[in-house]
Amino acid sequence: MAPSVDPSSRRFARQHVLAGFGLAGQRSLADAHVLVIGAGGLGSAVIPALAAVGLGTLSLVDPDTVDETNLPRQTSHGVADVGRLKVDSAADAAARLAPELQVIRHPVLFSTENATALLDGVDLVIDGSDSIDARYAANDAAAALGIPLVWGSAVGYGAQVGVAWDAHGIDYRDLFPEQPSDDGDSCELTGVLPMVCGVAGALMAAEAVKLLTGIGEPLLGRVAVYDALTGRTREVPYARDPARGAMDVAVGVDSAASGASEPDSEPGSKPSRPRTYSAPELAVALDGANPPALLDVREDWEAAIAELPGSTRIPFGELGARIGELDPSAPVVVYCHLGVRSAHALVFLEQSGFSQASHLAGGIEGWAASVDPGMKRY
Amino acid sequence: MHVRYFAAAAEAAGREEEVLDVDSDATVSDLGSALVARYGPVMARVVTSGSFLVDGLATRDPARRLGARVDVLPPFSGG
Repeated sequence: MAPSVDPSSRRFARQHVLAGFGLAGQRSLADAHVLVIGAGGLGSAVIPALAAVGLGTLSLVDPDTVDETNLPRQTSHGVADVGRLKVDSAADAAARLAPELQVIRHPVLFSTENATALLDGVDLVIDGSDSIDARYAANDAAAALGIPLVWGSAVGYGAQVGVAWDAHGIDYRDLFPEQPSDDGDSCELTGVLPMVCGVAGALMAAEAVKLLTGIGEPLLGRVAVYDALTGRTREVPYARDPARGAMDVAVGVDSAASGASEPDSEPGSKPSRPRTYSAPELAVALDGANPPALLDVREDWEAAIAELPGSTRIPFGELGARIGELDPSAPVVVYCHLGVRSAHALVFLEQSGFSQASHLAGGIEGWAASVDPGMKRY
Repeated sequence: MHVRYFAAAAEAAGREEEVLDVDSDATVSDLGSALVARYGPVMARVVTSGSFLVDGLATRDPARRLGARVDVLPPFSGG
């Protein structure tokens, strides 16, 4: 068994002389156990940083294996690691920097079911995963255990980083009260500039070290929002709503779409229209006597890979400007790659007076999986 | 009223902040509708899933009155 981290090691000399940090701070790190959810883009910045700074024990939670498309931003993994479990590859990366670090690998999905068991003995949680489910599970479990959560997200050209610590009066639900029904913008859908993961991951690791050593002022009640295009980091201050408990009960998960009234319940609308089609349901409808029109809201490059025959295509970002090209009273089914953009497009169409619009849940990916196995996927 | 846009909200609006004239009794719902009308479907995504922080308090209560400043922040989940 490897020896434990020695906080007085010469390796940490530049931290020993750091004002307010010193040997005491180094000892706090050597005694600490941090659990990191996600060994992806953010984890690839967080994990080596914590290993190198002199952390004592590190738990890694990630069910995924390394994919080629991960490599530009997930720099704890190399070309030779493709196909390996991310927790194994990341543990190797950490061991190169700190062979004494105790690493515990959990190749599982972090969830409300296993959260309490995984967090046993953990001092601080870092969530750098790409899952909204994991974010809320981590938030709620950390709150119940009274430990702090450092969270971050990176997508497109931007990142958000914050600290949730219910024992100090702030958690993630004070910023985003209700769990969204989908994962919102994701790297698969929107892309990601690799360096935003590095920026956000470094911010997250710094917050963790600050919390463990007691130095500085944590990002508590403030979200750091980084934009690589402007190079600016802006701050969103927030506090706990005194009416939070009552609000949680009064406002349901679907209230977010309240601006888009459910047309089925609206007087004068035709009650027969389903808002959502599964791929097999759509296949049946398209074979029927009055097939709905198809509206593809994906980009050119996506349509070049695969599309449903007879589709009208208006990329999601152009829908507002080109909505006049569509007939608001005609039955239309909106689709995209995975069903996220189309769901939002549907809300927009409804708000714009389209009474016969629906969308394809699961997108063209679901179509390829369950209706047309010969269709090219991406 | 001072409105600040973050991440996808800033992309949809094409700006990071602006001052909007609103009625004194305007609600969060009124602001959401106004923003969708002004900026289209990309903003509709933000309005349906994002947080409206009214003077620093997050609310999904569409009937809440607006304040001096609203920050519009979408959640995202890339890791």
